Amino acid sequence: MTADVFLFWFLALVTVLSAILVITQANPIFSALALAMTMVGVAALFASLEAYFLAGVQLIVYAGAVMVLFVMVLMLFDLHHELRAFSRGVLAGAVKLATVGLFAGLIVGGIIMTKPQSLPVLEKAAISSDNTAALGQLLFSHYLFGFEALGVLLLIVAVGAVALSRSKGGTHAG
Amino acid sequence: MGQDSLEIAINCIKLVAIFLLMVQAVPVLVWLERRGSAFIQNRFGPNRVGPLGLLQLLADAVKFLFKEEFIPAKGIKLLYYAAPVTALIPATLAFCAIPIGHPIQVEAFELFGSTWGPYTFLFQGYEINVGIVFILGVSSLAAYTLLMAGWGSGNKYSLLGALRASSQIISYELALGLAIVGVILFFGTFNLSEMIRLQQGPLQFQAFGHQLGVSWLPNWGIFYQPLGAILFFAAAFAEANRLPFDLPEGEAELVAGFHVEYGGFKMLLFFIGEYGHMMVASGLMVTFFFGGYHIPLVAPQDVYQAILMTVHSPTLASVLNGFLHHLVFLLKFAVFLWIFIQVRWTLPRFRYDQLMDLGWKTMLPWALFNTILTATVILVLRAS
Repeated sequence: MTADVFLFWFLALVTVLSAILVITQANPIFSALALAMTMVGVAALFASLEAYFLAGVQLIVYAGAVMVLFVMVLMLFDLHHELRAFSRGVLAGAVKLATVGLFAGLIVGGIIMTKPQSLPVLEKAAISSDNTAALGQLLFSHYLFGFEALGVLLLIVAVGAVALSRSKGGTHAG
Repeated sequence: MGQDSLEIAINCIKLVAIFLLMVQAVPVLVWLERRGSAFIQNRFGPNRVGPLGLLQLLADAVKFLFKEEFIPAKGIKLLYYAAPVTALIPATLAFCAIPIGHPIQVEAFELFGSTWGPYTFLFQGYEINVGIVFILGVSSLAAYTLLMAGWGSGNKYSLLGALRASSQIISYELALGLAIVGVILFFGTFNLSEMIRLQQGPLQFQAFGHQLGVSWLPNWGIFYQPLGAILFFAAAFAEANRLPFDLPEGEAELVAGFHVEYGGFKMLLFFIGEYGHMMVASGLMVTFFFGGYHIPLVAPQDVYQAILMTVHSPTLASVLNGFLHHLVFLLKFAVFLWIFIQVRWTLPRFRYDQLMDLGWKTMLPWALFNTILTATVILVLRAS
């Protein structure tokens, strides 16, 4: 077994295990921390595929900013109610069963519907380590509209969030 | 990692050595901090144990190791223990990616009946092509340590300190990231080694198709990006939770912030983490704006040739050249660490709303302005 294969299986195991922890933990804070671990695992997988820029961005945006905010907000709440609601009860049990069913269905569907075909193996030169510039070129030429549209969408979300928090009942109401 | 076992072994040793370099610098820095603060405040500071009080830290280390183990009753054990362990990881990973000396070239040689090499060893833990993105990404994970410590301790002061710390880190990360976009635009690369290579020799740049230069100034980033340098350094203080941005551990309000409940060696690990962030910030400052390991105005090839004239062995000359440039790096690095310490004992602390205003309403717009200005100037000047 080469080092690359070992690395892949190790990272895959860590990522999948922490993803499972996200849905099995009753405490939302542990769920959020496990989700952060999953993000770090995905970033490491990107890095092992030589997509270093994507790995870095994944770390900065998802693990470093989004999940930190999640954890921060969760820590402000009194979680006793959530802990009870998520650890027993008919509704929680039903949700869990439904989730397991969906997950199993996805896996089975994935296995059945995938045609056994091998993907073309790219030349090493085609995925050279300096793909950041190529990524930038693509984003600002071929995918320019989608890129800009997403930017505007995010701006709308940010403005909306500020408007909601400043309206009646918000933290900065006045 | 390397082509053969010798190269792999040396690369592994190099990683450990750089980690130890970082950890071993902490006691010296703590000594400098305590003596420096005493000097600033007209006191003596620790001067009893050993010459100049240098052995005080050894005594402190023993004290830290033998302190009583303590777990807060309402804390969460797993997070309480995990936090100090993970405190060191972000700073260490980031520091290993910074080039701290000129690469060493080893000629092919005979050993144990076979030929080894030639090798090129980089004077850094590992090279990553998008070094800047990697360092920013890894350091942004530092917020988890603080959150885990704050919430896992089950103490309201810890929690408040952790919340302050993480919101501060997230806010200033934006200014920090944007402040170096100008540098990236100017040098046109994410690679730290490449960036350092572009800063060697005297100041010269292209303008309207002409080559302009100043022969008595080094070709450092600070002359092209002064605003970026100031913003980056200021944001680095906030990222490292140092005064004047040390709200997370404001003693008057929060006792000691997120590490109230930590004592002994666990507390020391947080300490090393904080100094680690300081070192990463200083190292990046040197790399981006002060020419990295280069001697001002002197190209490393000239130094190499001069050494080669005396020692007559290409490998030995390369090793000496590497270490000489490493010393130059350490000198520049120490200047910034000293500024960190000097600022801590000179400036008062901000109020929390002032901190947020500074981050979002002052530094972020200026960083954006710097980015747009740099992009425009580059577009105009390099147009031919």
